[in-house]
Amino acid sequence: MLVPTRNLRSNPHLLFVRLPYLLSFLCIVVGVIWLLLLPLNEYSRRTYISENALLPGQVHAYFSGSEQNIFRGYKKELGGLLVGGAGGNDGEDGSRGERGNGKVQSILRAAGLKVATQNYEYTSAGIRHQGQNTYAIINAPRGDATEAIVLVAAWKTADGELNINGITLALTLARYFKRWSLWSKDIIFLITPDSKSGAQAWIDAYHDMHPPSVQPLPLKSGALQGALVVEYPFDHRFESLHVVYDGVNGQLPNLDLFNTAVSIAGGQMGIGAVLQEMWDHDDSYEARLETILRGMVKQGFGYATGAHSSFMPYHVDAITLQTKGEGWQDEMALGRTVESLCRSLNNLLEHLHQSFFFYLLMQSNRFVSIGTYLPSAMLIAGNFTIMAIALWMRTGYYAGSSSPSTSAGAPAEEKKETTQKGSDASGVMERQLALPLTFVVGLHLLGLLPLYIFNNLSHQYFSSAVYTCIIADILLPLTLAALLTHHSPSTPSTPANTIPQHYLLIKSFSFLLLGLFLSTLATLNFSLSFMIGLLCAPLTFTNRTTSTSVLRYIFSTIGLVILNVLSPPVVLVGGCWYAGVSVESVLTQAAFGWDVWGMWTQVVVWCVWWPAWVTGCALLGSSMF
Amino acid sequence: MLVDRRKAAVFGAALVLRLLLWVLFPSLPDLLTGRVEVSTPVNSFKRLQEGLFMYTRNVSPYDGGVFHQAPLLLPIFALLPNAREYPLPTAIFYSMVDLANANALVTISDSGQALSGRLHSALRKHVRYDGVAVAAWFLFNPFTIATCLSRSTNVFTTCGILYAISNAGSGNSVNAMLALGFASYLSIYPALLFIPLVLLCYDRRVQKTKASSNAAVFSVQYFGILLGSVAGLLGISCLIVADFWQFISATYGFQLLVPDLTPNVGLWWYFFIEMFDSFREFFLGVFWLHLACYVGGLTIRLRRQPLFVLTALLGIFAIFKPYPSISDASLYFAFLPLYRHLFPLMRYTFFTVSALLYATLLGPAFYHLWIYAGSGNANFFYAITLVWSLGLSILLADTVFAALREEWEQDNPELRGKDIRQV
Repeated sequence: MLVPTRNLRSNPHLLFVRLPYLLSFLCIVVGVIWLLLLPLNEYSRRTYISENALLPGQVHAYFSGSEQNIFRGYKKELGGLLVGGAGGNDGEDGSRGERGNGKVQSILRAAGLKVATQNYEYTSAGIRHQGQNTYAIINAPRGDATEAIVLVAAWKTADGELNINGITLALTLARYFKRWSLWSKDIIFLITPDSKSGAQAWIDAYHDMHPPSVQPLPLKSGALQGALVVEYPFDHRFESLHVVYDGVNGQLPNLDLFNTAVSIAGGQMGIGAVLQEMWDHDDSYEARLETILRGMVKQGFGYATGAHSSFMPYHVDAITLQTKGEGWQDEMALGRTVESLCRSLNNLLEHLHQSFFFYLLMQSNRFVSIGTYLPSAMLIAGNFTIMAIALWMRTGYYAGSSSPSTSAGAPAEEKKETTQKGSDASGVMERQLALPLTFVVGLHLLGLLPLYIFNNLSHQYFSSAVYTCIIADILLPLTLAALLTHHSPSTPSTPANTIPQHYLLIKSFSFLLLGLFLSTLATLNFSLSFMIGLLCAPLTFTNRTTSTSVLRYIFSTIGLVILNVLSPPVVLVGGCWYAGVSVESVLTQAAFGWDVWGMWTQVVVWCVWWPAWVTGCALLGSSMF
Repeated sequence: MLVDRRKAAVFGAALVLRLLLWVLFPSLPDLLTGRVEVSTPVNSFKRLQEGLFMYTRNVSPYDGGVFHQAPLLLPIFALLPNAREYPLPTAIFYSMVDLANANALVTISDSGQALSGRLHSALRKHVRYDGVAVAAWFLFNPFTIATCLSRSTNVFTTCGILYAISNAGSGNSVNAMLALGFASYLSIYPALLFIPLVLLCYDRRVQKTKASSNAAVFSVQYFGILLGSVAGLLGISCLIVADFWQFISATYGFQLLVPDLTPNVGLWWYFFIEMFDSFREFFLGVFWLHLACYVGGLTIRLRRQPLFVLTALLGIFAIFKPYPSISDASLYFAFLPLYRHLFPLMRYTFFTVSALLYATLLGPAFYHLWIYAGSGNANFFYAITLVWSLGLSILLADTVFAALREEWEQDNPELRGKDIRQV
């Protein structure tokens, strides 16, 4: 054990140049393997209800029998309105919405609820989104209007289908709930035109955080304790419930809410619950891993996956229940599930807080918590910090030659002599910080430019903007590299064969910031940090090459091609091609997310990933000049 | 003239940057005003507005228990138009205070007290920044800019301290004491700077007149001036507020007894939240004693460099005072470039900078998780304030080490450049 340590001390090349690469590589590998281990039984846990007050499935759900007739009646009334506009265009859509809302209001009023409406309008990427929310409140017979539960049904589901059964079910439940005397929390029924913007407008206005284009709410209740979104967009019976739980910016609802839903659906009602569109989950390692990865992708992108997502930023736990498949469960079963869930939430004595807020689900009854999975993202972020520290030390203490002349077998005394000489020659070097600092900070500020452009462009220009961005990303690093090489401060003390100090310092600062941002991000949005970290991982191993001229050109060209494949716009285009969606629609969605949902994935891309990527490319490109 | 032009450029750029931020991001000042890292109960602009509202309506500003700042600020701010409707005059006023502070820093730097004093002369005099660079360091520090935008009243305390030191450095001992009196009047803790400051004044006096008077007599005289200036300011305050004792207990009592435990970047709030009430008085004493005891030790050990003692004390205040904010740290950071000649002797710069950067980023993130997302808790944020304090402590210890090392090299020229080891 002692001998290798001594070797390390006496061989600065190994200590300062080789070892950091090795450590960084290990960090990345261990980080990835760590994630791959999570689906194993040893590392994951079964879910459990942490908040005892919830008592899921302990009450009998009475929603059945004659309520079904009322459901059919309401459905017929709504269906009659919608016949005209079944396959209509936008204009008809609007009038249909109005007629529908009118009917909904009259039904809710007839059931004895207080009803109000709210108009809203958002403009994003040159597209106008407008609509009218209708909502009604049941005042709690046993409460004091300080707490409320929200039940949401959108005319259009998250997939854009007409949610006729969901709306009807919400109306039937409103009439049904109104007659019960056991509610200790107000129940708000919210009918929104779509799943993207309506709920956002409503929840913003509920907390008085709405933009001027959104109307304030005329009617309010107490603090929201939870929200349920119901989607039943087809006419036949369903097989299972799909529980959607991802919020904006990767925020998740309290695990207790999800567990309650799963345990009520599965235990009390006998309806299977699935998640992350894993329709046939066989509980194998692969299926578990795929579920985790799908969850991570959704969390990492940070977009709203349904009407429930908008509630999460206000610390209101929310989930969407979607009916899926062809089976024998009818709308009454869904209604009983919702009733039972509302009863559970009604039991809450305080806000959901007991269980986890950070988790990865791999099956409806298995999860890993943050303590278990966080190290993988932290290790990947840590690899950049290790590199930054190593490069900093290398610039200060070790001016060193790149030729490892002292072989491992040489006598110890000789080695000692060489190090003595080395440290005498270089000593503690003064670092010139001005250029590297300006370079790195400037690039991070420059990232604001594409951020602004992509968030404010009109939607028809998005694809051309992306291709311009790809070309600019090829040219910019090379220009920077040329500038760096030709206008760099002269460092006379460095031998010709080594990398000049400022290149190392630029990389050090860039990586320090990258490691910093990614580890902070890992606490907020684990998946995004992990993905960006992996995409940036090749940057650790790129640097200005110092080999002979011919090899240098070949290496740096290959390296640049590889890095360009991993540039933010190319990854975006590649991802869109793989998923089979158009770049324009993705960017329109992203701009909508920025404007309406307060999504900040773009900030991470342009102000964290992109500057680090440009720096890496510029350093590699500088070997060509 | 060249230097003047540089100075004008730096000051102008700083002013333009501040006003630009104000105009381009109109919501930024209000956002910063609400941040616990920037605004504490004793310097918050929101609370000042509250006090101002009551003052202009002839109600005692200390009624309601929200306002805890010195009453002399009220007539000054009553002259400015309402900050909500016309934010620009306030913006210009605060930017001007920042520029005045930077000007004081230029004076401190030009006095050369950091490099050589009566009893001390630095070895690496050629390694230094000039006054304008020091001012630029202060003016473009993001923490200073955030403090300015948040309109924290800490800038006036900073102003008092900086002018006290700059006047002491250039030999105007009476003005120095008056400025220190102003700072102490605003927030008591600057009074702890009296001993090193009076030593600095004394050193300057001896340097100038070449005749050594009695240091003790000198100190007592100037202590009298300090007391007189504070008493004068308190007297004027009496004219503004009706109930003198209410004012004293709402401002100084509030700062000394720390009843408001709103989170901040310091170490007190969490400790006192967790503490059983019966121990509260005892630990209040301990914490204040701890803060005060550094004055004696540092002054004695670093007698030859009173300006460095002042710098180190400002660092200690930024860590250990009851309601610290990032503006205290920014004041400490402002003094560090004066000691550019010590930078080569510092050992943990990279680590310190990383720790401070991590704390700067993680602090708001964890606060968000705790307060807004609800998925974290108070321990998250407290852990980060510990990291922040750790970063500052290491920086402080490192600079003190560098200063001691330099003194030691002066005393032992033959051992210059040798490694030292603690035994």
